[in-house]
Amino acid sequence: MTSLITTLDPRSRAASRGWSDTTIRNVFVIPTVAFLIIFNVFPLLYSLGFSFTDFRASSKAQVNLVGFKNYVDVLADPVIWRTFTTTLWYVIVSVTGQFVVGFGLALLLNRPLPYKGLLTTLLMLPMMLSPVVVGLFWKLIYDPSWGILNHALGLGRVAWLSDANLALYAVAITDIWMWSPFVMLLSLAGLSAVPKHLYEAASIDRAGKLYTFFRITLPLVAPILLIAVIFRTMEAFKTFDIAFVMTGQPAAELISSRLYKMAFQQWQTGPSSALAYIILIMVLCITNIYVKYLNKAKER
Amino acid sequence: MRKTIAGLLAGASLMTIGAISAQAQELTILWAEWDPANYLQELVNEYQAETGVAVTVETVPWPDFQTKAFTEFNAQGSAYDLVVGDSQWLGAGSLNGHYVDLTEFINANNLAEVMAPATMQYYSEYPGGSGTYWSVPLEGDALGWTYRKDWFEDPAEMEAFKAKYGYDLGVPQDFKQLIDIAEFFHRPDENRYGAAIYSQNQGDAIVMGVENSVFAYGGSFGDYESFQVTGLLNSPESIEALEDYRKLFTFGPPGWGNSFFAEVNTAVAQGQVAMGMNFFAFFPALVNEATNPHAANMGFFANPPGPRGDDFAALGGQGISLVSYSQNQEEAMKFLEWFIKEETQERWAELGGYTAHGAILESEKFRTATPFNEAFFQTMFKVRDFWALPEYAELLTEAADAFYPYVVNGEGDAKTTLDTLATTWVDTLQAAGYPAQ
Amino acid sequence: MAVVSTRAGRLGNRIAIAAVIVVTLIFLSPIYWITSTAFKPLVLATSVPPTVVFEPSITPFVKLFTKRAQLTTPVDPAVYEAAPWWEKLVLDGGERLSRDGRGEVVFSAYPDRFANSLIIAVTSTLLAVSLGTITAYGFSRFRVKGEADLLFFILSTRMLPPVVVAIPMFLMYRAVGLNDTHIGLIILYTAFNVSFAVWLMKGFIDEIPKEYEEAALVDGYTRMQAFFKIVLPEAATGIAATAVFCFITAWNEYAFALILSNRRAQTAPPFIPSQVGTGLQDWTVIAAGTVLFLLPVAIFTFLLRNHLLRGMSFGAIRK
Repeated sequence: MTSLITTLDPRSRAASRGWSDTTIRNVFVIPTVAFLIIFNVFPLLYSLGFSFTDFRASSKAQVNLVGFKNYVDVLADPVIWRTFTTTLWYVIVSVTGQFVVGFGLALLLNRPLPYKGLLTTLLMLPMMLSPVVVGLFWKLIYDPSWGILNHALGLGRVAWLSDANLALYAVAITDIWMWSPFVMLLSLAGLSAVPKHLYEAASIDRAGKLYTFFRITLPLVAPILLIAVIFRTMEAFKTFDIAFVMTGQPAAELISSRLYKMAFQQWQTGPSSALAYIILIMVLCITNIYVKYLNKAKER
Repeated sequence: MRKTIAGLLAGASLMTIGAISAQAQELTILWAEWDPANYLQELVNEYQAETGVAVTVETVPWPDFQTKAFTEFNAQGSAYDLVVGDSQWLGAGSLNGHYVDLTEFINANNLAEVMAPATMQYYSEYPGGSGTYWSVPLEGDALGWTYRKDWFEDPAEMEAFKAKYGYDLGVPQDFKQLIDIAEFFHRPDENRYGAAIYSQNQGDAIVMGVENSVFAYGGSFGDYESFQVTGLLNSPESIEALEDYRKLFTFGPPGWGNSFFAEVNTAVAQGQVAMGMNFFAFFPALVNEATNPHAANMGFFANPPGPRGDDFAALGGQGISLVSYSQNQEEAMKFLEWFIKEETQERWAELGGYTAHGAILESEKFRTATPFNEAFFQTMFKVRDFWALPEYAELLTEAADAFYPYVVNGEGDAKTTLDTLATTWVDTLQAAGYPAQ
Repeated sequence: MAVVSTRAGRLGNRIAIAAVIVVTLIFLSPIYWITSTAFKPLVLATSVPPTVVFEPSITPFVKLFTKRAQLTTPVDPAVYEAAPWWEKLVLDGGERLSRDGRGEVVFSAYPDRFANSLIIAVTSTLLAVSLGTITAYGFSRFRVKGEADLLFFILSTRMLPPVVVAIPMFLMYRAVGLNDTHIGLIILYTAFNVSFAVWLMKGFIDEIPKEYEEAALVDGYTRMQAFFKIVLPEAATGIAATAVFCFITAWNEYAFALILSNRRAQTAPPFIPSQVGTGLQDWTVIAAGTVLFLLPVAIFTFLLRNHLLRGMSFGAIRK
């Protein structure tokens, strides 16, 4: 075991006092990992097991093994594919929006400002609301008759959530509004961690603003920014409450809504477990790409 | 810091223990969150005053009601002793063993005679015609219509209407007149619209609305006993009904593509529409001056007959069933005995509940108690319901997915929509082991 | 900390301040709309066209805390006269207060649910942040076998759509008696947040130079002392940000609270929108419940604002 520890020589003075590094490492890491394994193993195995059966949680009928049939059926269903592509597009629009707005805000805020703490708190209010409530109130705000949005902007009777072409974007706008502050706060923490002396050096070198930004700021902020984007991507993939409450347009139906209908309204436990695993694998792949970038960014 | 955590944890565990020990003499009823559940809570408070048994009506928002109830049922949870379940739940509730068979209780109390026949047939008996009962009808409900009396009775409007359509403006005598009237009042420039109907495709909203016109047009959603679907679901009558539902939708307020009971009532209360379709249980808010500025001008009518005189309406409403996993079944039966007493039913109606008690429904007192009770009374004798098989939810979701693009977006046509749905339904039913065609 | 000493820099600074103010106002307008709805009479909440100027009333808050039922007949004037002011507000809104068997006014579940939310969100946040911080430190400073895979596993526990886990989770909880308990939801939210906490904290702790601790170790600190006295203060920004995010997630979680808990342990989020079922959706009460429910998170964030913004000081090394 001692061979795993590299930071300190185990025979050194420091390590001989108090807990050894090995003990600390074990005490710090093992409980969390064990807790997560214990907590997740049953739900994961349950879903995996039933994804190969025709089980319905609502029925006492005999459960039969069906092999990969559920996976094949789900992948052959055009509706599922439509919701997949919709979700993908939604994730791109929404996460890009959050990134641009959130990081932009952080750049604006990253300077001495009066009432900065208050401003930041106020900007974070949207993400403090419950997603269901956000969905409900944005539905109210978007309504062509009694909604304030069209009225305030003088847009006439735009049917944001009922229009097949607009609905997805309307939901994405709400999501961007709600979650940009998340990206903003993390970016801000990253930006304030950039050592001042690097900027000072850059200004002595008369480096251009853009050069300073891309060569100094961005690489240093990149790791934390990527973590923000990883989590927002994962969450956007799972978006359910907001979209489900706001619109019924098939063109804006996300994969999670379809999954909810299959699992809880139709009680097709087998196929819905299969679909969940397909989603899991997709998210795993996408996240994996991000994590690779993250590790690269950290090496710099 | 650590002390705080320990304190909080200790507090949390104490609460849990405290809650578990306090279970005696308590009953829990699960229902959706709406006005009737509030009335029921008031009613059961009186039961507590009489017997000392505390009854709680626990409510869940409508969109989550089915999810919550069936998650409990499927895991055989004992959190609820009684459930006021939708009529379509009967198949799943009875065949999957979630409900206790109440046939003996129903027969001993002669409820099949006492309660309105439609309510026993749709809220309690399963399978149809079997004489096996699973619930006590609790809240009768069906789709009805509200309209603006002041607009209908405006002499200028009456004259213009007669000139355009050749007959007098008034409560529609059939569905075609209803569509004429909706078209007549549909004036987006004046921010006035013809009719507000259901269009939401989550849950049963749009399906209930379409069902309402399909039944009135003499169409059907299939034969629930022989499982014949093809030729019935996509019969010419059903197709015509769906076409007219779409037409009616286009006479609705702008952005009407995600609307259910709340949106309909809002549009009516804001004076936007000439007519609104809704469940009767939601009408009290419309005659209340405090919530509807136009309360004094609201009129109500039962679903009109279709073009060939078929006279039906879509059923809502619920029966109260005993959950088979309940640990307080004896206490729950005592409650049901109290609930079916005529005095209790009268009190229930007085508080605002829609009793299913035949004699009370027919009484002059009930029929004149509100502006909509007469229409409700008429409707309750001509109701029809959706499939009540354990697989009803699949059929429902498939129907909603099929209707929505046509009704709301105007994609495709009614015939293709119903032909496709018929094929889908037959597949689903066959996969579930029914001899569907 | 862009350089602001030049004239162009000062101008840029002013533009930035103006932009921040404009964006903040845009971001706040929906919140303003929710807040103003919480003080509107019901009819004005959905008026056509929308009502911006109105006489505020606290009726929605009275309604939020009481159990009510829609009036079916006009209220008896004698009853109205005898009613206290707050009951009059409810009666004016077309509803009557529900009373229990002894004629006492029945309060709504809101206060209980709110208290449940506080207990559950605070405890699970403390747990998730503590676990996340030490685990992140462990991963950051020591060599752990299969570190990358373990970290990815921790991340992946958040990837499965919650809808699917709900049924097995329900069965699991019922088997061990955690259904409808505070502890059950605390464990669930801790599990949910800990993956996020580990990743975020690791990001922050990785940025703290190892030289700090090594210097401390040379000075005679134990590794634990170095962790508590050097690393934790340096990681304050990260801890504050993680705590805020974990608290927000636990505070607002809806689906599991709805499915895994009933009236004993249920939190407020499933209660707040339950007002949607009345004949006319009571937006004002939903708004009132939302506004009050927003306060604890807003206050929590505001109290932590300086930590959130402080950033990490790399003082010692750069001096």
